[in-house]
Amino acid sequence: MTEHLDKCPECRAEADEVERLLKETDAVRSEIRAAVASVNWEALPAVIADRAFAATGKPERILPAVRPWAWLSALRMKPVLAGLAAGLIVGAAAMYFALKTPGPRPGKDTGYHASGEFLDRAELEMARRNTLDYLEKSQFVLLDVFESAGDVAAGPAALRSERARDLLSRKKYLNAQLERFQMAKAKAICDQIEMLFLELSQISDELPAAELQRIRGFVEERQLLLKINLVRKELESEI
Amino acid sequence: MYEPRDAEIKNEPAEIGALLKRIQEGDREAFMTIIRLYQQKVFVMAYSILRDREDALDAVQETFLRLYQKAGLYKPGNSFQGWLLQMAKNISIDSYRKHQIKRREWVTTKPLDEIPIAAEDRAGDSAASDLRSAFARSVEKLAERQKMVFVMRHYNELQFNEISEAMRISVGTAKSLHFKAVQNLRKRLAPALGIEP
Repeated sequence: MTEHLDKCPECRAEADEVERLLKETDAVRSEIRAAVASVNWEALPAVIADRAFAATGKPERILPAVRPWAWLSALRMKPVLAGLAAGLIVGAAAMYFALKTPGPRPGKDTGYHASGEFLDRAELEMARRNTLDYLEKSQFVLLDVFESAGDVAAGPAALRSERARDLLSRKKYLNAQLERFQMAKAKAICDQIEMLFLELSQISDELPAAELQRIRGFVEERQLLLKINLVRKELESEI
Repeated sequence: MYEPRDAEIKNEPAEIGALLKRIQEGDREAFMTIIRLYQQKVFVMAYSILRDREDALDAVQETFLRLYQKAGLYKPGNSFQGWLLQMAKNISIDSYRKHQIKRREWVTTKPLDEIPIAAEDRAGDSAASDLRSAFARSVEKLAERQKMVFVMRHYNELQFNEISEAMRISVGTAKSLHFKAVQNLRKRLAPALGIEP
């Protein structure tokens, strides 16, 4: 722009005119300067602040000196607020200690609760069912012995031994239940069966047919299968 | 012309938000701090429009009272000075209009010999003040937006970006209005300045 004004006399003349024109603003600026100088600027803010607070009725806040405990003075000035804050603090502390204390809490433990009587009945029921199941499986093994007596097939003999061992291990668990609930009849028959299974579990493939015949005779003599049926029916009726 | 503590103001914007918040909470000291920072700027704005010391002081008080009531309306990030000067401008223009109406009523109802005609046209007798008087009248006759831009630019000595903030116009519009104002003044004052219209 300066370059253009240097080269263009018309624009230069116009710029000079504008400059002359704007010089007239100096007078106004002088007037304003005089007006500014005549005002007491130190006093004016207080005057305006007084008017503002008086007009709105808003209580003015005096800022306290910045101290770490300055917030306490605010509480002292407002008893209701201080009381509320104290209540909140005490309540929070009480809640903290209440929840921190170990032991059962109301509503917290969601475990299942049942009476001792109910649990005894449930365990008796379980014992009956276990016994019934044991007798049923034992009956199958004994029937198998009857059907295979005289047969020397190796396969069935090994299977019988396996089943007998399995039932022997179950009998150990069953003993505690039979004694606890005084199931005398069932215990007696189960004990006799256990003796047979002890022998069966020791039967090897080379066991002579005479040995099997002896076991079969024992079952017949004691009417074990019949007794098993009777005990089973009795247990089934109690379930 | 005056000491508006420009450097202080330029360093203040970050704190303006905090001061205004404290004002909303009824903090008198924060309110007085804002007044101390901007009172002269506001006064110059008011005086430029009203051309009367007392009226300008009234406008200053009114501006800060309105600021006290509306401190919560300030949007952080905007120019606080622009917002404040806009309030000052609006209050001053309102005041000017009211006084103008009163003056007209007063003049028309008073007997002719009671009207201080000499006081109305200050220093209108001397040749040196003829141009000043003509200049002042010509500024008065400018379209309002042109007049405001001219006054802010040359009496308040604001930058165009500050004018644009105070008037809520673009910088380009502010410059354009200023150019038109200068051209109009040039035309009107051509005879007094001895230049071709």
